[in-house]
Amino acid sequence: MSQISRRQAMAILGALGFGATAAACAGPGGSTAPGGATGPAAPATGNVTGRVSFAHWRGEDKAVFDELIKRFAAMHDGVEVAQDISTSNDYNAQGLQKVRGAAIGDAFATFRGAQFKNFTEAGIYTELKNSKAVSNYQEGLLSAGKSGESQLGLPYQVVFPMPMANVDLFDKAGADLAPKDWDAFLGMCEKLASSGVVPISWPGGDVGNGGQLFNCMVANNAPVDDMCAQIEQGKLKCTDDWFIKMLNQYKQLVPYLQPNATGTAVEPAQNLFSQGKAAMLATGSYHIAAVRGLGATFPIELVFPNTSDGNGKYEGAYNATFILGVNAASKNQAAAAAWIDFLSEPENAGYYANQTAQHVSVKDVEYTNPDLKRLSPWLDKKTALAARFQFQNLDVRNAVEASATAVISGTSPEQAAEAAQKIVDERL
Amino acid sequence: MSIHPGTASERRAPDTYTETGAKKRRRSPTRVNPALYLFPLPAVAIIAFFLVMPTLQAFQYAITDWNGFSAAFNYVGLDNFIRAFTKDSLFTNALTNNLKFVLLVVIAQTAFSLILALLLTKNSRGSILLRALFFFPTILSSVSVAFIWKFIYDPNFGLANAALGTVGLDALQGSYLGNNAQALYWVAVTQVWFHAGQMMVVYIAGLQSIPRELYEAAEMDGAGKWQQFKSITWPFVAPATSIVVAYTTVQSFKAFDLILGIAGNPPKSSLDILSTRIYSTFANSEFGYAAAQSIIFMAMIALVTWLQRRLLRLTPKGE
Repeated sequence: MSQISRRQAMAILGALGFGATAAACAGPGGSTAPGGATGPAAPATGNVTGRVSFAHWRGEDKAVFDELIKRFAAMHDGVEVAQDISTSNDYNAQGLQKVRGAAIGDAFATFRGAQFKNFTEAGIYTELKNSKAVSNYQEGLLSAGKSGESQLGLPYQVVFPMPMANVDLFDKAGADLAPKDWDAFLGMCEKLASSGVVPISWPGGDVGNGGQLFNCMVANNAPVDDMCAQIEQGKLKCTDDWFIKMLNQYKQLVPYLQPNATGTAVEPAQNLFSQGKAAMLATGSYHIAAVRGLGATFPIELVFPNTSDGNGKYEGAYNATFILGVNAASKNQAAAAAWIDFLSEPENAGYYANQTAQHVSVKDVEYTNPDLKRLSPWLDKKTALAARFQFQNLDVRNAVEASATAVISGTSPEQAAEAAQKIVDERL
Repeated sequence: MSIHPGTASERRAPDTYTETGAKKRRRSPTRVNPALYLFPLPAVAIIAFFLVMPTLQAFQYAITDWNGFSAAFNYVGLDNFIRAFTKDSLFTNALTNNLKFVLLVVIAQTAFSLILALLLTKNSRGSILLRALFFFPTILSSVSVAFIWKFIYDPNFGLANAALGTVGLDALQGSYLGNNAQALYWVAVTQVWFHAGQMMVVYIAGLQSIPRELYEAAEMDGAGKWQQFKSITWPFVAPATSIVVAYTTVQSFKAFDLILGIAGNPPKSSLDILSTRIYSTFANSEFGYAAAQSIIFMAMIALVTWLQRRLLRLTPKGE
């Protein structure tokens, strides 16, 4: 073998290093997934076989999906669905990078709002407008999965981000479950407090869950329905009168929250509620299963903190989320689309709903779960689509919601509003 | 295959060779079998691929407005760096929090681990048991530690308020992480609890290498405990202090998993540090800006570590 000098070897390594540097300096971005904002159509037909990765964040629903996967596999020989589950926070932060390229997530779910928008812009969704599944959904609930004229995703879950109520404690205190205005709501809290329980258990130490109350507080206070989008665009401001009024209403809630509410994580807040120490849990209906798991046996209702003077536009708040889609980069789109079709059939959607205690957007579903049956009338009420998911910028969302937490900590509404607006202004 | 490094005698007497022969032999020490160059290649490739290239890419992304998934992006020059320092109060808040956190943890952890080490230097059974106990938190995962302390700090069901209540100190019960003015200090307590045992071990190794004779001589000269510490212990544990301070600094800058575990994602602004802010910026699909923040972060760690070593005179001149 011929010999080379160190100088030659250094030259070779240098060349390799230069190559690596050049490669590193290739422009960012690379290629986007083939979908684009409108997305290619998901295949209506094809071999339903092979492995399908289903990426989502609902770890608590794993067993239910496992059962549905068994049923799906029994219908199609040789198909296998694997769940790739992240925690909701991680999925929110990294979902796009994980699913992009379809190493995982032939079928996937997204949160409504910023994540759905980013997935759409990255061209990850395929067009589902003409799919078999779409006709199974309630037309009015599909908008969260639309981009222009395209139906890219199918919002699977309907959740009510409103305080859950322990009906027994309300009855004992003689408190009204449906306050018609803000004074009635405070009166209701006063009655509950007088009966010796904490009126509202609020996880102020958990940004994601603590922020759900914002959906209710803003619904009847804001001058427009797309108030959060307008705040982000600079058309509305946190220092506007309506926003300050809302923060003042947050301040009025302080005596009715558990002590040190801003330091309470979601699990202790759930415990206060499930143990009957708190009459309401200010998160949402998506926590029913968790609360039942903690041993709560009392009947559960939803309460809308109606901030209006009696002429409010809305009677509650809802969110259509867990937006199902088929990955445009998937090599097994036919099987992924078949899985989404399967989940969207009323029988299977009903199984999912009743086992997880969450309503679904699919039509003709029979709710047999007692909690869902009790809460089903909310599906027909005039509810506002959860406003916090209008924010496209998570820093803006967190800053705006943090103003409410700051007020509960003791900051004046005006100061809290100014601090939030400063961050919004920096991101305009 | 053969290695031909040349011999000592050839190197000692080059003038005895003909010119051609000498040149040939003078080059020979630099000639090695090419196969030898294959050995470091895997390591070089791994470093290049996983360290050098991403670092270079970070520098490139930092001057773009790339969102992390689009093919399209613009070069924005130094705008991202200017934005971080002049137009982003969330970033400057995270930077302030982080510097405060580093200062708190470095001082407390260094002092605490040194005190523990001084108390437990002797190899008695009791000391060994206590060392193991103090070291134990180090082997836990940071997420476990975060959840343990999240439970301790919970204002309603937590151990801290329950303990205070039990001994009649209800007035001292608090919101802990819910109190924006105090939250960072409580996380610093957790960080010190988590890592002080590990640093104690470094100090014990340093303390045990100090010759006993020095202390005996000092005692004979009438030196008190404080003088012995000042004149013998402290100078001799300077290398250990150097390691402890540098390691604690980097660790405190990167307390990402502890903060996310204890404060949730995203953490509220009073607990936002640089690493969590960078993560939030990435999650917010601002990859270019997040890359710029990462470079500032890297520079900050280097600068603070260098300053510490200079100020504490842990690095002799010329090193």
